[in-house]
Amino acid sequence: MAIKRLFIANRGEIAVRIQRAAKSLGIETVIGISAADKDSLGAQMADRAVVLGPAPSSQSYLDVNLILHAALATGCDALHPGYGFLSEKPELSRLCMENGIIFVGPRQETIATLGDKLGARALALEAGVPTVPGTDHIAGVAEAKTAAEALGYPVVMKASAGGGGRGMFKATSPADIEGSFERASREAEAAFGDSRLYMERFVERARHVEVQILGDGEGNVLHFGERDCTVQRRYQKLIEEAPSAALSAAVRERLHAAAVRLTAHARYRNAGTVEFLYDVDRDDFYFIEVNSRIQVEHPVSEAITGQDLIALQLRVAAGEGLGLRQDDITIAGHAIEVRINAEDPTRDFMPSPGRITRWGPPDGHGLRLDSHVYEGYLVPPFYDSMVGKLIAHGRSREEALERLLAAVKAFRIEGIRTTLPLDAFILDHPDFRTNAITTRWLEDRGLPAFQPDQE
Amino acid sequence: MAVKSEEIATLIELFNESEWDELHVAFEGVQLFLSTDPNARLCSGGAAVTAAPAPAISVQPVAVQAPVARPATKPATPAPAQDAGIPAHWVPVKAPNLGTFYRAPKPGAAPFVEIGQAVEATAEICLLEVMKLFTAVQAGVKGTVRRVCAEDAEMVEHGQVLFYIEP
Repeated sequence: MAIKRLFIANRGEIAVRIQRAAKSLGIETVIGISAADKDSLGAQMADRAVVLGPAPSSQSYLDVNLILHAALATGCDALHPGYGFLSEKPELSRLCMENGIIFVGPRQETIATLGDKLGARALALEAGVPTVPGTDHIAGVAEAKTAAEALGYPVVMKASAGGGGRGMFKATSPADIEGSFERASREAEAAFGDSRLYMERFVERARHVEVQILGDGEGNVLHFGERDCTVQRRYQKLIEEAPSAALSAAVRERLHAAAVRLTAHARYRNAGTVEFLYDVDRDDFYFIEVNSRIQVEHPVSEAITGQDLIALQLRVAAGEGLGLRQDDITIAGHAIEVRINAEDPTRDFMPSPGRITRWGPPDGHGLRLDSHVYEGYLVPPFYDSMVGKLIAHGRSREEALERLLAAVKAFRIEGIRTTLPLDAFILDHPDFRTNAITTRWLEDRGLPAFQPDQE
Repeated sequence: MAVKSEEIATLIELFNESEWDELHVAFEGVQLFLSTDPNARLCSGGAAVTAAPAPAISVQPVAVQAPVARPATKPATPAPAQDAGIPAHWVPVKAPNLGTFYRAPKPGAAPFVEIGQAVEATAEICLLEVMKLFTAVQAGVKGTVRRVCAEDAEMVEHGQVLFYIEP
């Protein structure tokens, strides 16, 4: 292994997860933390933990120079950015390269191209991967009307610089166009300092499916099947599963091929995810974006393939190549993951930081818990609210579902409020059981039916 | 396990408060020689280690106890024990962020401050470097520099004590 000492530029469960993989490969770990994370499991596990700065992320986890300085001063030869924070900042990849540190992620140009919506879309078109029928930049209301006629209503206007659903407005008829255009461009300007818009056909019944890939940077790409992350609230995923139970074998095969084609064309290096919108009514899929990092929900893909994606990420970064052929990756059974967030689902998901006075995870066959917390741990109020992910693997979707539901109900957490009751409600809902959901299901039907007192 | 600067500081405090004339401790490649005689010099070489005087033996448990007393201490947490023997009214000057600590404005130049020197609150007393960007750290309090707690050109962490100043 060419990597001897790895710097972890992250916190939370992923800092723990990365260290498990690193240690299994004989790699030493150094973690850069904020003053608020001195007691975290990630800091305790590391061979060395260094305090970068005070609690606010801007002065610790988001300060590129501080992180690079710490990695160099502690003699690290590689850096893993995890997810979130700086993981998709081209600058971190560039600075690592310039300073002789292996970046466990894509080249800076790849991150920059894929991070730009129009750049990614152009790449998809070059690779012959279908995108939602849409336009390039639209300059004004008249152009928007013409474009909408060509695409067919309903349409949605989106910010070129956007993300997370901000700056998106739907128009169902020509009468809506002017108002939607003005609102979308105003919000885009306010949120991103860039008012440019483009337009897409609106998919009424959509599912979110995504393909896990691994590329060697030379144009060779493997896929590890797809995940279905249709249960979302405000574009935040809550429950993820693999494989997707909504796809036919033929569509699934085309989906995997499209993801591999696109990332091979980009000569993508690292683990990545190609996200697609699946149009239930048309039985077709459209490319959305590439996440050029490991994702929160990677364990469901690990469960059904038996592969350690973080270890593979490290091997690829170290120049060992993919080490696998596509035939070596076989899909077995079904896996479902719930996110456990320190939020109160009965009070509009209000964050619920604080001291965990009881942490009693379930135990059982086919279960996996990825977490960085423990009994007595103080969930700090400064960061992402996720305290863990619970994953169940079974021979079938039904088996995985029953296993996970029983485990969620048996999980005892005290001291903080969590999303576990909502997770149990969704898993047990007939619509989820029969897989009759779309990306709007949770907000439109699930949450209104959620009875807070039932737990 | 590497010897921590605060453990050495503890030994120095212990020596200062004792009536010993000399203290010589050697472990894991580190030798510490303390003497009340300004002209005293440690005889280098292995012989000095085996010929350790009586005080060194009586001191040994201290060197052992220091790490045992706080087993959970990680490099991440500048130990509270480093304040041992520091008068309560001395004010610590802590690193505002991780960086490389420099005592002098440029290589070869005289340090910003020396022990015993009087400083104003706004006096710049060291530099912290982060990726070639140098930031001056101010004393923050008017007083006399009593301790320098970090090694020149070494990485320090956020919150680590760099100096003690007696107001």
